[in-house]
Amino acid sequence: MKNNLRYDFPLLTNSRSQPPIYFDNACQSLRPQSVIDAMVEYYRDYPGCAGRSMHSIAAKVTQKCDQARQQLAKFINALRKEEVVFTRNTTEGINLVASSLALKAGDIVITSDKDHNSNLIPWQMLVKKIGIIHKILPSLPDNTFDLEGFEKFLNPKVKLVSFGLTANLDGVTIPAEKIIQLAHKNGSLVLFDAAQTAPHQKIDVRQLDVDFLAFSGHKMLGPSGTGVLYGKFKLLEKLEPFMVGGDTVATSTFTTQEFLPPPEKFEAGLQDYAGIIGLGQAAEYLMKVGFKEIEKSELEINTFLTNELGLIPGLKIIGPIDPAQRGGIISFYFDKIDHHQIALILNQSAGIMVRSGQHCVHAWFDHHQLKGSVRASVYFYNTLAEAEIFVRELHKVIKVLS
Amino acid sequence: MFCIVSFLVLTVIGIFSASYRALAKEAFDCVLRRVTLRPCNTSFQEKMKAQVTGQLLTRSVRAAKLFNKYFEVLAWVLFLSTIASLFWTGKGLYNFYMYGSCNGLNKSGFCALDPTGENNKTSQAGGSCALGAGDENKVTLTGVDLSSFATKNIQAQDTVVFIGCFNCDYTRKAYPIIKELLQKNQVNYIFAHYPVKGETTYILPLGYCAYKFDQPKYWQFVDRLFSSNKEDNGRPEYVQQVLKDLGYDLNAINQCAESQETKTAVVKQRIELEKTNIYGTPLIFINQKGLVGPKPYRVYDRILNSFNFFKGK
Repeated sequence: MKNNLRYDFPLLTNSRSQPPIYFDNACQSLRPQSVIDAMVEYYRDYPGCAGRSMHSIAAKVTQKCDQARQQLAKFINALRKEEVVFTRNTTEGINLVASSLALKAGDIVITSDKDHNSNLIPWQMLVKKIGIIHKILPSLPDNTFDLEGFEKFLNPKVKLVSFGLTANLDGVTIPAEKIIQLAHKNGSLVLFDAAQTAPHQKIDVRQLDVDFLAFSGHKMLGPSGTGVLYGKFKLLEKLEPFMVGGDTVATSTFTTQEFLPPPEKFEAGLQDYAGIIGLGQAAEYLMKVGFKEIEKSELEINTFLTNELGLIPGLKIIGPIDPAQRGGIISFYFDKIDHHQIALILNQSAGIMVRSGQHCVHAWFDHHQLKGSVRASVYFYNTLAEAEIFVRELHKVIKVLS
Repeated sequence: MFCIVSFLVLTVIGIFSASYRALAKEAFDCVLRRVTLRPCNTSFQEKMKAQVTGQLLTRSVRAAKLFNKYFEVLAWVLFLSTIASLFWTGKGLYNFYMYGSCNGLNKSGFCALDPTGENNKTSQAGGSCALGAGDENKVTLTGVDLSSFATKNIQAQDTVVFIGCFNCDYTRKAYPIIKELLQKNQVNYIFAHYPVKGETTYILPLGYCAYKFDQPKYWQFVDRLFSSNKEDNGRPEYVQQVLKDLGYDLNAINQCAESQETKTAVVKQRIELEKTNIYGTPLIFINQKGLVGPKPYRVYDRILNSFNFFKGK
């Protein structure tokens, strides 16, 4: 990766202090100056409403938001921009589908044992509320997707399969195309949680033929509190609105209403226009950088980390050993060293920021009787030099804690 | 243990720095959970431990390792030290309030609240402020005959005995405080001049005779000498002038002072005062309780009125 891209990120070029080594990108990425500028520009130059008022500022906001929708549609190669619904995050996108899909008692929804709570709890709630059947597909021993097991799970009652496309636990990406083919053959819809995929890999929803796909802005250089739910337009048209109210209807009487077509009927109330515009800018930035470059950079760093960390006695890597299967994530633990202590000391002693804990995948950790792990997740603005410091400091921390 | 220590320490630091208040709150939550036998959900201990270990790691891996390994032991040591510190601080505050010294009644060790030791300083017996040191615990009125000393309100139930030197700085500091005490309380007051400095010894027979001739004027005489310059008190002609100003018959006073009877009485008084084991002035007794050095007003008042309280006044 070209090192000059680091200069786009204020936190990494702040001359007042030593920049941190930010290895918590799976939680939230840093933001380039262009995204910050786009948001500031909205608040400074045209802080109005979109799609409502007729004045020039409102027209500009409408045009900018529309442009952002187009940028996001292009980002995932959607057929039309109306297939892009702005949400607050991936969790909201999944909840929207869960609430609006009109599932009935006895309908089966399949998720995996590695799914984030955002793709677990909504289905648990539907089990309680309407009596759907929620099945959890176990992963293979190396934590990769069990395609054969999945095939066996499929039957006519399976209405939806909902998987994390890339796991935040270990960075493993599932075989999306094959899963979609099998699911569609079975007559099931497919929803992917692409929160960990969209920032790192090119997603082509048309090529995949996925029905729904949700992702967040904050992991892909965009503002926090922004996200996207992609849905095939025909499916979106059939969905009941999730939240209703202002700007979701064309007209209303005291007793009736006429909903707008997608995506408006899902975007109730005044939207986070600055966030939406910033998210559009983030998508534009990532497309300019290019996913081949991003993947190459992450793999280079993760290969180095895997090779070095793999030599540390007692350190266990979650997921497959091959870094090429784990994108920019390396998640590890020790049986006798507390993961939180490692993360806290790395931060305190060397300004290295990693995640520790169960990463919102409590069920997987509890099932494997593990307390948690340390997760280092890199992005294209990280460098090999940073990875070297991380390894060196980790050795010191382990020496202290063991 | 660590939570408790942290809570106490951070609360104190938090008074001065807002950034520590959040940590203090977290520590309090941790303490609350521990005392109600619930697990500490804030990971406060782990956070603080890692913070210190991380800081040490930037300097020495060995030091960080040792700290991490013996963290619990250190936490216990800190806990016990904190408890001990709290106890001694509390005791010090109590003593300072009660006796004007953190170390207790008449104890002259270092006290942070009275760093210069003003509340315990005395002019040393023997003629020089720098001489000798006595035993604070041995001052007493037991066996001391005070009947020949200047006294007023003899019928009062409480007794204050003030033994001081007109030219002693610490006696001069205590004198107005005792006067205030006398104004606010009805007490049997006995005053004795104990000249730790030789230049005021000559006042002893003059004072004895002044009291003998006219008691009300004598108290004015004492007031004048305590408010005069110390240099003036060392000049006999000045004291003579004071006596004259007060309306005393100088010839009679001087004749009295020169008489053998007076000289014998003064020596007897001196002998009686030595029985108190006095080693410096001022030495003040309030109902038999001896106080060495000038104390804050509250100390005298509290001692006097606590006696009254116990007597049911």
